[in-house]
Amino acid sequence: MDELDLRIRNHIYSSFVRDGTAAAPAETAEELELAETKVSDAYRRLHDAHALVLEPGSLRIRMLNPFSVVETPHRVRCAGRSWFANCAWDALGIPAALHADGRVASACPDCAEPLELEVVDGSLARGGELLVHFVVPARRWWDDIGFT
Amino acid sequence: MVFLRSEEHLARWLGATGLPVGASMPARTLHELARRWWWTRLEPDWRSRAPVESQRILDDLGLTGEFWRLS
Repeated sequence: MDELDLRIRNHIYSSFVRDGTAAAPAETAEELELAETKVSDAYRRLHDAHALVLEPGSLRIRMLNPFSVVETPHRVRCAGRSWFANCAWDALGIPAALHADGRVASACPDCAEPLELEVVDGSLARGGELLVHFVVPARRWWDDIGFT
Repeated sequence: MVFLRSEEHLARWLGATGLPVGASMPARTLHELARRWWWTRLEPDWRSRAPVESQRILDDLGLTGEFWRLS
């Protein structure tokens, strides 16, 4: 990842954390005073490098891991805001990335009962007794990141 | 990757969905994994992590064996 891609990646992340919206290439291009075609190419490279995830066949951002840009069953209240996470791992990753306390609201896929976890001062204060299951082996996580 | 209430719920869910049995861990372990994996994600000097470093994070938490090999 070169310096331009890193600059664009960091701008996308910081604006998402600040505003809660994932910038389209045109917005990023305007804010960084770059040509839109250059920024669009960078979005594709960042996707290929697993630095973000685009919607299939599109330049629309779907994931800024651990954050999800689209609604999911994993909601996280953290740093005064509500976020969606891509999965259980990312749900606990949001308080870690933001260096803040957080509350995770999810649901058991078997019984649909709500599940809550809470991170306080870097420790899991609630929900530690719950179980987590990974279906996909590590080397195949990026084969279909949406399913993973 | 999902949270489940217990092993019993996991077995029932896998049976109902037909998904293969993967790997499970307590939420406490996942929390530690999340801390180590995501802690630097928003830092201004962030760089993508080398696969060997990611593998070390898994290994250090006892997530070893074929299922947890990244490559």
